[in-house]
Amino acid sequence: MESNEKKQGMSRLDFLKMSAVAGVSLAIGGAGVAAIENAISPSKTEAAGKDPKDEQIQLYGVHQPGIITPQQTYMYLASFRMTSDKASVVRLFRDWTKFADLSMSGGTMRTGDNPLLPPSDTGETLDLPASRLTVTFGFGPTFFRLDGKDRFGIANQLPSYLKDIPRMPRENLDPLQSGGDVCVQVCADDQQVAFHAVRNFIRLSTGYASVNWMQEGFISGRPGQTPRNLFGFKDGTANNLHQTPAGYDSVVWAGDGEPAWMQGGSYMAYRKIRMLLEVWDRSSLSDQQDTFGRHKESGAAYGKKGEFDTVDAAQMPNTAHVRLAKESKQMIHRRGYSYTDAVDPRTGNVNAGLLFVSYQRNPEEQFIPMLKLMQSKDKLNEYTSHIASGMFACPSGIREGEYIGQKLLES
Amino acid sequence: MFKGKSKLVSGIIATSLLLLVLSACGKDNNEGAAAATSPASSSAASTTDASSEGNSAIQEGTSKLQDETSKLQEAVKNKDAAEVKRLGKSVNDAWLAYENSVRQLFPLEYTEIEKYVMPIFSASAFDKVDFEALTGTAAKLQDALTALKNAKPTTGTTSELLTKAVANYKVYVQEQADGLVSHTKLFVDAVKAGNIEEAKSLYSKARVYFETIEPIAESFGDLDPRIDARLADAEDPNTWGGFHRIEKALWVDNNLQGMDVYADQLLKDTQELSEKIKSIELEPKTVVAGAIELLNEAATSKITGEEELYSHTDLVDFAANVSGSKSVYLSIIPALNEKNPELGAQLDKQFQQLEQTLLGHQENGQYISYDKLTTEQIRKISDELSVLSSLMTQTASIL
Repeated sequence: MESNEKKQGMSRLDFLKMSAVAGVSLAIGGAGVAAIENAISPSKTEAAGKDPKDEQIQLYGVHQPGIITPQQTYMYLASFRMTSDKASVVRLFRDWTKFADLSMSGGTMRTGDNPLLPPSDTGETLDLPASRLTVTFGFGPTFFRLDGKDRFGIANQLPSYLKDIPRMPRENLDPLQSGGDVCVQVCADDQQVAFHAVRNFIRLSTGYASVNWMQEGFISGRPGQTPRNLFGFKDGTANNLHQTPAGYDSVVWAGDGEPAWMQGGSYMAYRKIRMLLEVWDRSSLSDQQDTFGRHKESGAAYGKKGEFDTVDAAQMPNTAHVRLAKESKQMIHRRGYSYTDAVDPRTGNVNAGLLFVSYQRNPEEQFIPMLKLMQSKDKLNEYTSHIASGMFACPSGIREGEYIGQKLLES
Repeated sequence: MFKGKSKLVSGIIATSLLLLVLSACGKDNNEGAAAATSPASSSAASTTDASSEGNSAIQEGTSKLQDETSKLQEAVKNKDAAEVKRLGKSVNDAWLAYENSVRQLFPLEYTEIEKYVMPIFSASAFDKVDFEALTGTAAKLQDALTALKNAKPTTGTTSELLTKAVANYKVYVQEQADGLVSHTKLFVDAVKAGNIEEAKSLYSKARVYFETIEPIAESFGDLDPRIDARLADAEDPNTWGGFHRIEKALWVDNNLQGMDVYADQLLKDTQELSEKIKSIELEPKTVVAGAIELLNEAATSKITGEEELYSHTDLVDFAANVSGSKSVYLSIIPALNEKNPELGAQLDKQFQQLEQTLLGHQENGQYISYDKLTTEQIRKISDELSVLSSLMTQTASIL
């Protein structure tokens, strides 16, 4: 890149114009499909164009992006199972890392000069800015051991708390939408940018991995304000309590006692929670507020004035959602998104709900007891149903030149 | 399934050769630079070096395969089913042991042998052995092996090799078209005789010949919809005819009344197709594109069970699409060897993988009904096909 001025507001198109083709690889891998060679992204200085969507998030750093990054408007969550050997896994993560770097920088794969071949990039972001795209990778329990087999020779690297979330009362899980060897969370302020990334992750996985399921979510709020879920209540107010470096260390980042690759990483807990919108919408305001233990409009806890005033559990009904969360005396970092699916043709009800995502350093201490308490007592259960689940260990961040999971796969 | 062109384009889910942008700020990456040199030139050189060594390995391998084939012929003559099955496997093993070097040095002979080894191997998995068919196949395999022993390495420029490939492929297309006519005739006769059970058994036998060359039929305007439209594809359900109209009569209505007119028309249409193919001009580009289209066909309507909605014989069509695509691959091997031998080796491996998986879904030499497959089994087939399709799209790099 030539100068800082030039970089400002650089579009994908400019980026393409400024780039040269290199690394024409013939895609010869184990099972052999598409290969990315030479993913070099443009300069990493934050762009300062007029469009806030020009903002770029860094892939490289101590921690992975997309965990404590302020929430973007859109999310895709995709789960994969590995279909080949360890060499293929390494190759896949190299390719994914390169593509993650490229797309987070607002770049696109350059098409070669043979018009008889399909274009390299699917192209829907050619004119779009980076839109704060982040990509976050996590490993599920089966990545380490499948049917008792140490499939990639890394079973001794299993992090301390990585196991499937145990059975909970009242859950109704669909195995086809749950778990997986690898989970990729893609977030951006532009849905098209987010989808482009997840779509190309799937393309790049051909021959190495197979996609199990994909979810899409959205969440919106004014900057600095807690966004609301589809029940109209603010969701994630308590994140405010730990949003300092020390707070993140005590709540989010895994540390001592974990294998080296996991230190500075985090556990991602995932639940797909169907919300019975029609039933909820027919409930009285006081029933709704009793369910959460907060006032709907202000977000203030019962007996309080402001959203962020200290919660007094005693003022809430025994089964209120927020009261139970407080009683668990644990903190988690919430990063959920709402979802909508199709209409149920039998009832006319809209399938919709919450893609609950939380990050924590120790799910056994912070998350599982909280979930258990809520699944047993939460008044919210009258209006919700858990239909999918997953627990993934997200490794620490990487330096430029490394690939995601390198420390684990080359341990 | 009949498909309009626009639908076809949107149906393509092809992973391509992905080239990444290299920014102009000049960061260095040796790995990429190394990969940027074309592998074609380096491997072409090594192929020549290895040729004499490869040659003696080929002579040796061929002698062994000839021995196994002779034993097989003996067993066929004695109608010894157990022995035929055992030898079917060992013929295949003997071929797999050295086929890679044959593909490199004698691609044309390779193609011939490949054509005959597969059915012999498949027969080893059947409960009932078709001795008569095997007699012919084994004899042809012997001829092909003799030819290989006396063969000179294939040479020529890429464009010469491609012209030859197209000519070879055209022979295949005509064979399939002729097979379509003769098998449709048998099917139509059974339909008109009101013989439901016989017609059912002849239905997919005839369709195989269509599915192997489907993209060719699609190039002749409304011939494809006339022969192959499903009810959902039909402009007007009242004038809907072709294979699938009769399929519905056979499997749903269980009644062939009124089908004569569709049967007659179907036979006429296949005859017209076969006639038109005689004068068709094919180009390498069209042929390679057709191979990809065939896999896309398999990846869309066949793998979802939408093609054979009533008979559920989708796997038969699926395998035929793959086999049609493979015949393109086989004819372009000489050009692949010249320009991109690694791609040839990968395609070979992936075709074998998929064929192996498909064979696992046969009972007594017949593909099982689509509705007997589990979601996981369908997904495995689909995943393997995706890998194959991605590789196949790259064959355009030799044009």
